[in-house]
Amino acid sequence: MIRRRQVIAGAAAGLFLPLVARAESPILNPAVVKGDLPPEAARLPKNPRVINVAGMGRKTGHQGGRLTTIVGGQRDIRIIPIYSYSRLMCYGPDLALRPDILAACDVEEERIYTFHLREGHRWSDGTPFTAEDFRYAWEDVINNKDFYKGGPPVDLISHGQVATFEIIDEITVRYSFVAPMPDFLPKVAAPLPLVLFMPAGYLKQFHLRYTDEAVLQKRAEEEDVDDWRRLHLKMSRSIRPENPELPTLEAWRPRTAPPAEQFIFERNPYFHRVDETGTQLPYLDQVALNVASSEVIMAKTATGESDLQAISLGFHDYTFLKKAEKTHPLKVALWRKSQGSAVTLLPNLNCVDPVWQGLFRDVRMRRAMSVAIKREEINKALFFGLGRESADTVLPESPLFKPEYASAWAQYDPDLANQLLDELGLNVRGPGDIRRLQDGRQAGIVVESAGENPLETDVLELVRDHFREVGLALYIRTSQRDVFRSRALAGQVQMSVWSGLDNGVPTADMSPEEIAPSTGDQLQWPLWGSWHAAAGSTGEAPKLPEVLELLRLLQLWGDSAEQSERAEVWGRMLTIWADQVFSIGTVNGALQPVVRSARLQNVPEDALFGFEPLSFFGAYLPDTFFFEEA
Amino acid sequence: MSNSSFRRNGLPESGAPLAHFVSDRPFDPNEAEGRVDAMAEATQRQLMWWQFKRHRVALISLVFLAVVYAGILICEFLSPYQQDTRNLDHIYAPPQRVHLFNDGAFVGPFVYGRTMTLDMETMRRNYTDDPAKVEKLRFFCRGDDYNFWGLIPGNLHLVCPAEDGEFFLLGTDRLGRDVLSRIIYGARISLTIGILGVTMSFVLGIVIGGIAGYRGGWFDAVIQRVIEVLQSIPSIPLWMALAAIIPVTWSPIFVYVCITVILGMLDWTGLARAVRSKLLALREEDYVLAARLMGAGSARIIGKHMIPGFMSHLIASATLTIPGMILGETALSFLGIGLRPPITSWGILLTEARSVNIIALYPWLMLPVVPVILVILAFNFLGDGLRDAADPYK
Repeated sequence: MIRRRQVIAGAAAGLFLPLVARAESPILNPAVVKGDLPPEAARLPKNPRVINVAGMGRKTGHQGGRLTTIVGGQRDIRIIPIYSYSRLMCYGPDLALRPDILAACDVEEERIYTFHLREGHRWSDGTPFTAEDFRYAWEDVINNKDFYKGGPPVDLISHGQVATFEIIDEITVRYSFVAPMPDFLPKVAAPLPLVLFMPAGYLKQFHLRYTDEAVLQKRAEEEDVDDWRRLHLKMSRSIRPENPELPTLEAWRPRTAPPAEQFIFERNPYFHRVDETGTQLPYLDQVALNVASSEVIMAKTATGESDLQAISLGFHDYTFLKKAEKTHPLKVALWRKSQGSAVTLLPNLNCVDPVWQGLFRDVRMRRAMSVAIKREEINKALFFGLGRESADTVLPESPLFKPEYASAWAQYDPDLANQLLDELGLNVRGPGDIRRLQDGRQAGIVVESAGENPLETDVLELVRDHFREVGLALYIRTSQRDVFRSRALAGQVQMSVWSGLDNGVPTADMSPEEIAPSTGDQLQWPLWGSWHAAAGSTGEAPKLPEVLELLRLLQLWGDSAEQSERAEVWGRMLTIWADQVFSIGTVNGALQPVVRSARLQNVPEDALFGFEPLSFFGAYLPDTFFFEEA
Repeated sequence: MSNSSFRRNGLPESGAPLAHFVSDRPFDPNEAEGRVDAMAEATQRQLMWWQFKRHRVALISLVFLAVVYAGILICEFLSPYQQDTRNLDHIYAPPQRVHLFNDGAFVGPFVYGRTMTLDMETMRRNYTDDPAKVEKLRFFCRGDDYNFWGLIPGNLHLVCPAEDGEFFLLGTDRLGRDVLSRIIYGARISLTIGILGVTMSFVLGIVIGGIAGYRGGWFDAVIQRVIEVLQSIPSIPLWMALAAIIPVTWSPIFVYVCITVILGMLDWTGLARAVRSKLLALREEDYVLAARLMGAGSARIIGKHMIPGFMSHLIASATLTIPGMILGETALSFLGIGLRPPITSWGILLTEARSVNIIALYPWLMLPVVPVILVILAFNFLGDGLRDAADPYK
């Protein structure tokens, strides 16, 4: 190490004497020495984002090392931009938004957003990152009918009007909406963000406005795609970084094109973050992504083949991993999942069976099912008693949390359940003491699951017995995700089992769209959701007054320019959500094992784990993780 | 020739006593060959039985299988618990040892009560025997309620734990369900699937092979090619493909029937071939020719003269096919494309035991392999014995 530093200092002294203040990362050394790459200080923006690593209670580290992690398939290459989590704005562990790629962001009336870029910020290939990259994305892609036939995505539309885009100067751009758009920055900071900028310098060669059609046709054939649009799409895809040529602003840039069994990502030499001592981040030189069958990921992790792993590990693996801790150099931590509920029952309010539809739309039915579940038993049997017995709602970690949301209709009260069911007219019992529906059929609910999570089957086995005690039969039907989704959308599913709210830790500034019918993915009201998403062109209009109220409140939230007002709207929506039991939660705050190499530093011991809004590890800045010298 | 020449031959004078003893008992020319007589007159079945008895291992296997198959008729009675009875205070409990003596005194079969502690460090449940709690097992006792054959309610069990006690001879799984009871219930599915599948392939094999062998001609040629194609396809991928066709929405019991049909449909080829070749050979036998010359019709010739000639052989080869069926079901279920819970079969039980966790921490969940191995071995020995017995003259 020492020897190498001397070499750099010696070789580089003549050329870049004032700039070589620190040692370069080992893998960048040769290029800098040869002069292929400018030295670090010349690569950083004038005002890099300074991460106060020590201030976060972590250790300042050094550059170098390769982190290996395992994924279940080649498509999971998309996990790296999620872990790396460079966004215009980003969330931290405190769930607050802060500028990341941006130097600053001015917001006026929640509708005029002015982005200030960092001066001297460069793409990973060294070309400057400027307002031109925003213009390219805006004019040549987002507002180009070749790519978006129906116009720009809804996230850029407010009250039917597309935002206006202005370039103020080389490093300043502005997006203005006609009405408040509080969801704009959260969308930009999402794990799968709204893409507002693209590397124009690189992508112009694939765009018809800048390149001759014949040339594009030839490239399209070479890349085995139909036309230049698909070519552009393929070459510009940043959420699945399969094109190693595509310049990026993320901490690591891909070096391997699929197909491969191992994907190598290498540090972005122009990354815009530094630690407080001035060392350019990320600390880790390389990230290697090994592809393995998801069934063996746990075993591989336990033998130390992964330096950082949470994907494909479940709580039930903890004992085994903990045992492996003794024999292999790894550490196991338990994080809490940020979902609203680990396993949720979702009665389909849009199911085609008229009797069940009527029952599920009656709040008494949903409440009866909820209080019939013995959550304590589920928690004890499957979560070692460490989960929190709760309705499917926000977690205590969220600033919007109130205890009554979690406890609403989450008590175990079979008498109340029986009473509610009797009131509903299900008071005739048939064989096996199972109730009969009004039309004489047996009150048997078919619950469908995607069959991906063994935990769901176990929970359902327990719930089946709880339901039998109040005279409801439960049949479990396992299918596959795609079949299941399309059946749900067709109303053929009576009840689904899924995990609870994706984002269990929202703040008032995050959209409450998950607790109102907003997309067709919502299994409790797929038709109402797709009706809203498609602005009434598909699905069907919601009918329940409570659901209409949720939609009205969602609209109110979207139009609100005041944070206090948004918090209030959230509160009203959560109250309705809790009282109406549109999804029946079981246990939340389930634990997620996080395994790391014993040498890997700065990984939090106890934190929240989730996709939205935390980007799994992303909010915890994996660029500050580093390997301690053995 | 004169009389004197007779005398010279050593015969006494006419009417004179003989020089040696002659028994005056009635003459029976077959007396010395009595054993041969029994064999000659014994029926085919008796002959096979005599031959079969000499194969000791096959005899033991037969007894074992008879006991096991009798057991699946009454598995509700044999198993200490219901297959789905959960005991959430005894999750992942290891097998309990049955003791006879406590402190040197005989108390009869009993288990020690156990206390469970949660190890919060490793998130593991630890069970320790409590020597103060002697829980004597009960026999012919009232336990979990069940519906015998899904029809008659009952609660009589062969063995139950002591009142307020637990008895997990083979431990429990992740929901605290008794592994022994699940193995017993699983036997019902796994063993019948073998029999049903073989019956199916038996019928198909005899009919298709029979027609091919007796009629011959183009039908025979087509069937032979079809068989060759079917046999050249590796079985597991073919099962997987067929099992994948079964709609996911079908009820588990229907899936069970379908799996049986699939197993049977792919297995008839060997039998059909055997039937055909046997028929071809027997068709040319002299006794068939004799029967034909005496004016017997086709039905009589096949039914009376030919079927007894190859039936014994078929039974033997069918016996050897059953283990293949059982393994097929186990393999399919293990791969997750066969039976589905809540149906419990040995394959399902093994599927639940395939994670690394189980192998490392809860190895008793792999115990269902033991009955699988035993049954397969028994069937193989039995088939071996039957094959020897099928041709008793050899």
